[in-house]
Amino acid sequence: MTETFRRVLEDAISRLQSQVTTYLPPLLAAAIMLLGAWLLASALRWIVYRIFKGLTIDKFLRQSGLALMIDRSGRLRATRIVAESSYWGILLGGALMGLSVFNTDLTMQVAQGFVYLLPKLLASGAILLAGAWLSQFLGRSMLVWSVNEGLPHPRRLAALVRTVILFVAVVVVADQMNFARTVFLTAFVILFGGAVLCAVLAIALGAAGSVRRYLEEKREARESGERSLWSHL
Amino acid sequence: MASLVLPEEARRAAEVIKQADIVIGIPSYNNERTIAHVVRAAYAGLAKYFPQLTAVVVNSDGGSTDATREAVISARVEDSHLLLLDTPLGGAHRLSFPYHGVPGKGSAFRLVFQLASTLGAKACAVVDSDLRSITPEWIDLLVRPVLFAGYDFVAPYYQRHKYDGTITNSIVYPLTRSLYGLSVRQPIGGEFGISARLVSRYLERDVWDTDVARYGIDIWMTTVAIAEGFRVCQSFLGAKLHDAKDPSSDLSAMLHQVVGSVFTLMQEYEPVWWEREGARPVEVFGFRFDVGLDPINVDVARMARAFERGCEELGEVWALALTPDTLARLRALGRGCRLGQPLHVDNELWTRVVYEFACAYRRQPISRGHLMRSLTPLYLARVASFVIETQQMGPAEVETEIENLCLAFEQQKPYLRTQWNGKSGGAPPVRPEREVVTP
Repeated sequence: MTETFRRVLEDAISRLQSQVTTYLPPLLAAAIMLLGAWLLASALRWIVYRIFKGLTIDKFLRQSGLALMIDRSGRLRATRIVAESSYWGILLGGALMGLSVFNTDLTMQVAQGFVYLLPKLLASGAILLAGAWLSQFLGRSMLVWSVNEGLPHPRRLAALVRTVILFVAVVVVADQMNFARTVFLTAFVILFGGAVLCAVLAIALGAAGSVRRYLEEKREARESGERSLWSHL
Repeated sequence: MASLVLPEEARRAAEVIKQADIVIGIPSYNNERTIAHVVRAAYAGLAKYFPQLTAVVVNSDGGSTDATREAVISARVEDSHLLLLDTPLGGAHRLSFPYHGVPGKGSAFRLVFQLASTLGAKACAVVDSDLRSITPEWIDLLVRPVLFAGYDFVAPYYQRHKYDGTITNSIVYPLTRSLYGLSVRQPIGGEFGISARLVSRYLERDVWDTDVARYGIDIWMTTVAIAEGFRVCQSFLGAKLHDAKDPSSDLSAMLHQVVGSVFTLMQEYEPVWWEREGARPVEVFGFRFDVGLDPINVDVARMARAFERGCEELGEVWALALTPDTLARLRALGRGCRLGQPLHVDNELWTRVVYEFACAYRRQPISRGHLMRSLTPLYLARVASFVIETQQMGPAEVETEIENLCLAFEQQKPYLRTQWNGKSGGAPPVRPEREVVTP
């Protein structure tokens, strides 16, 4: 009985020792890598906050309306974006390196999957950013133009333009990421077709009066002498 | 410095003519109805007032598709120098129609100036090709101060209907005057007399491929002359009547082009205007007389509606350009408008709006196109307010009102300086507007 208990205990200790000797060094290595990555990320973030002014990018963010879209206070700064991106990027890199130390099938799959996805993620991010910028720019163009032209519901028109462009960006991203490709594409085709149909019906039936009034006003303004005031410098 | 390489066509013509004392430039684009009259007036003016001098009339055409060229040839006087040149226009020039309707007016002027420089002209004058009221005296009035009184730049001085030239009266004239300290009444008139010295200066500047040359050549020429200390005078030309403009011309695009050019020049000449205070009068040549003017109908209600809509919809854009105080005052006006109260945009508020837009144009919180186009409802509100207030006034009283606006611009200049540097607080107390006596 005592012998059995001793053997079981020795086996357990041996297994634990084996596991410790197998996993502790990589665990320590992973922890050190993660710590190193964290230190590097923090240092880089600190440096970026203090050195990188990002004036041009800040200006671009302001002008494009992206700053306002991402942060309603409009105080978003490129410095913060770059610093935080660097921080999280390095931290993620450190975590992946730490995982690869274990050299198991699972960790290798995770690391490889991430490396495979990274370019697509970056491309998708760029597409989304470009889409967001374009939607803001064209939405604002639509807003100002429709107010100056006296079109009904300028803000709704601007929101529509923004939504459509963002939706197109999302469809492209879904295609890029190979994620529910057909669902997004089909939804887009259905929505776009539906929107065109609605617009045609609205003009033909429901909004015929509004359109007629609008066109009448434009014609009257053109025919009256009032236009002469507008064309004299 | 801009190259002084003339197009082959112009170079050959210059070799034949060799020398000229006066060059008259007429840029054109589809002006078959009026250009013959303008060319005849130019010839008659040269023959009547400067018979002893050699002169060249240059028509620089921006690619007319009508019979403009034939009209110019038909108006030619025997034994005179007439050059018909095509302004080389790039694709962008053709696509971007400026407010005056002459694509590439800047390119046309550049060609005229290059030719004047090559021929050693002592004076150069440019006149629009859509004029109906030009007379031979205009040539004399634009050229004589340059040739015989030592002036470098002759700006036009027209008699206009009180509701004509509203962009000039409400923005360009008061702003140019308060910035650069000279009372040039028609800074974007379109007809100018220029000395050889100033022609050289214009050609030195490397702006001919920029938007300033494309859209704001008139205000650019005036601003360079004023800001760089050239001798400036004005000539009274009587009434300015011109061919009907394109009815589809877009007011917001016009504001963008004209006022945007003034704002762009503000940045370039910041050291000049920063120091200048007040404004001094500019000598006016020519006999002043009253003329009958075409009536102008104005739909004030339509303008007020445009402003109301702007208040309802464009708040988010205006908030990026205007201070909270100015925006609040405009919104209050919009609310009053909806309640049926008469629209009144006072001089002080309007001055602030213009100055704050100028500062925003510099800061670029949003794209400049959006910014300038969003000014349209505010401009219409100001015009409507002006029309309401001056309905019963005669020309002299209206001119006094415009003078009061100019004084408001001058008094608020410290506010512009504060805003220009991005300091929102510290606006100077507003002094009551000075009453002025019509000159």
